[in-house]
Amino acid sequence: MNREQSKTLEPIKIEVAELKAEEHESYFNLVWRRFRKSKIAIVGGLMVLTLIVLALFSDFFAPYDPVKLDMRNGYIPPHRVHFMDAEGKFYLRPFVYRWTQVLDANFFATWVEDTSARYPIRLFVQGWEYKVLGRFPSRLHLYGVEGDGQIYLLGTDKFGRDIFARCARAGRISLSMSLFGTFISVAVGSVLGVVSGYFGGQFDNLMQRFVEFMQSFPQLPLWMALAAVIPPTWDQMAVFIAMSAIFALLSWTLLTREVRGKVLALRETDFILAAREMGASDARIIFHHLYPNTLSHTIVVLTLTIPSIILAESFLSFLGIGIQEPLVSWGVMMREAQTIQTLGFNPWIVSPVFFIFLAVLGFNFLGDGLRDAADPYTIV
Amino acid sequence: MVSSPVIPRRRHAKGGFVGGMMINYILRRILISIPLLIGISIVSFAIIQLPPGDFASSYQSYLMNQANLPAAEAQKAANEYRRAYGLDRPVYEQYFRWIKGIVTEGKFGYSFAYKQDVGELIAERLPRTLFLAASAHLISTLFGIVIGIYSATHKYSLGDNLATVFAFIGTAAPRFFLAIILVYFLVIRWKVPYVNRFTSPIYSFAPMSWDKFVDILRHTWPVIAIAGFGGIARNMRVMRGNLLDVLNAQYVTTARSKGLRETKVINKHAVPNALHPIIMYQGTVLPYMLQGELEAAIVLNMPSLAPMFYNSLVSQDIYVSGGFLLVYSVLLIAGNLIADIVLALVDPRIKLN
Repeated sequence: MNREQSKTLEPIKIEVAELKAEEHESYFNLVWRRFRKSKIAIVGGLMVLTLIVLALFSDFFAPYDPVKLDMRNGYIPPHRVHFMDAEGKFYLRPFVYRWTQVLDANFFATWVEDTSARYPIRLFVQGWEYKVLGRFPSRLHLYGVEGDGQIYLLGTDKFGRDIFARCARAGRISLSMSLFGTFISVAVGSVLGVVSGYFGGQFDNLMQRFVEFMQSFPQLPLWMALAAVIPPTWDQMAVFIAMSAIFALLSWTLLTREVRGKVLALRETDFILAAREMGASDARIIFHHLYPNTLSHTIVVLTLTIPSIILAESFLSFLGIGIQEPLVSWGVMMREAQTIQTLGFNPWIVSPVFFIFLAVLGFNFLGDGLRDAADPYTIV
Repeated sequence: MVSSPVIPRRRHAKGGFVGGMMINYILRRILISIPLLIGISIVSFAIIQLPPGDFASSYQSYLMNQANLPAAEAQKAANEYRRAYGLDRPVYEQYFRWIKGIVTEGKFGYSFAYKQDVGELIAERLPRTLFLAASAHLISTLFGIVIGIYSATHKYSLGDNLATVFAFIGTAAPRFFLAIILVYFLVIRWKVPYVNRFTSPIYSFAPMSWDKFVDILRHTWPVIAIAGFGGIARNMRVMRGNLLDVLNAQYVTTARSKGLRETKVINKHAVPNALHPIIMYQGTVLPYMLQGELEAAIVLNMPSLAPMFYNSLVSQDIYVSGGFLLVYSVLLIAGNLIADIVLALVDPRIKLN
């Protein structure tokens, strides 16, 4: 009897301990709990994650070197993936045909499918050599065809470079520039907002006037003017940093305003008063008590700033101001579409737009989900 | 029963008082924007002066490469050019001359590429830009509100879902890409003549008439549609969200339980209150429309301010870039002011100080 009692008692103890542990769920756990309920936010997060992985390991996903020129293969249309061959025979493994250049009735060179040679698509093939994350040499690629066959899923550009490979590579610049620019603007914006709201008085007044001044600039025209100023002789890294800074320059004001408003409300609350009475320094109050409470706003603004920078960057690069070859971003790749003849004959060269679209949509979805999740203490 | 305290009805008691306050407010806002504009003009001028070289140096290389002039002579010609247009003066002196010209004579400086005063270029092209941006604004507000009301009242229906998809496309598609697509269809598929102009040649010098107006619309709709598309999407989402919130409010339930018809509940009670955020939003919508016009008009090469601004940046035609930047800033400030005034007129709870 006694032994049985002790047996039944023990599990109860454990249950109590578990309950207590659950009461102290961290902020990020709460956010995550609410975030994962929103399907659209999860979809957005997956889209963003896919693009980031694609950009990081772009060489693994690319069957061909994105910078190697091959003038004989200019403007090949996207290869069609077949399951059924010309005689109507079905294959489980998808394949592509060889493409050859012929002269059409008007003596224009055009690419056509040559059904005599069939190349099955294979996964994890050996191909051109690259370095994973710039460090470990490898020849492994996700897909490819064997022998002398070629596979260009999105076609090739003027210089015979695989557009899919270039899109994957271009994601590095497009994404990292928008992330870097947003990071600068968030760092500047949130610190200035907290400080301005906390100290108030003359500094706050001056800061608000300055924010108003910055907000009276027309964003896109000023971005264009600043990007046009960057000398073409600068090296790639300098251009990259300058462009990120330019995008950050006009983006931080929104966050400053929001954070300041939040801090103004928080400043008079009891827990800040308590901290001050206990002798906490200004720096401790700002960074330990006020700043974490504005984080939810910061995260939301962050996910909404990124897509706006991606869009602006692609437009400027499309116009040819700012990012230049050999740096390649999605906007730079679409430059060729500026000439209407080129676009008319080779409409597939605009395909990088789908990556821009995916990125902007992904970050927008993510931002929508985070906006609801970032403040998990309210009841919906 | 406790009698309600007498609330002094300051603002509605006398119409004249409200009007006076309004004029006061407008004047104050205009006064505030003057130092703002001075600051903007300094920054604009500083930016366009930043790159090495000037228009005279491209003139010099033009003389050497196209006219086969010896280097020394081309250098001499370029220096004379600089002296004639004051490009050899210090930057601050050039700035003061520029501002003095704008304030005293309405001259915005000399455009090296177009060989005329920038003020004339602005006078010629600003109305077109305003027309395009205002039309885009109009359709985006109109369609945005109507579609938003439909979406909110038919929540999760097929139409609502379609509108949501449309809105996501509208906010995520780069506008220059939409412009490319339209150019492709206009030029290659539909073979439309005269894509990048405002009118057909027969109307070029004709006075304004209904036919000419229709002709202008026929030529400008791609730019208006592209600039307005994103705006429709944004207004629609805002309107849908607001109306859904308002429809949950208690006074709407009251209106329904009084036995009012549903159309009346929505059009008389819910929609006017859901419109406030849309109006509040107008200040940010105008720059959005101007940016849309900028993107679409550059790609479509419509002769408005936009392509000229872009070309001046590339060719370092500094007074054009600077003048246009200033014009865009003035439009932005004016747009914000108008939005604030309209909001104050519509919503008497807004305080004017």
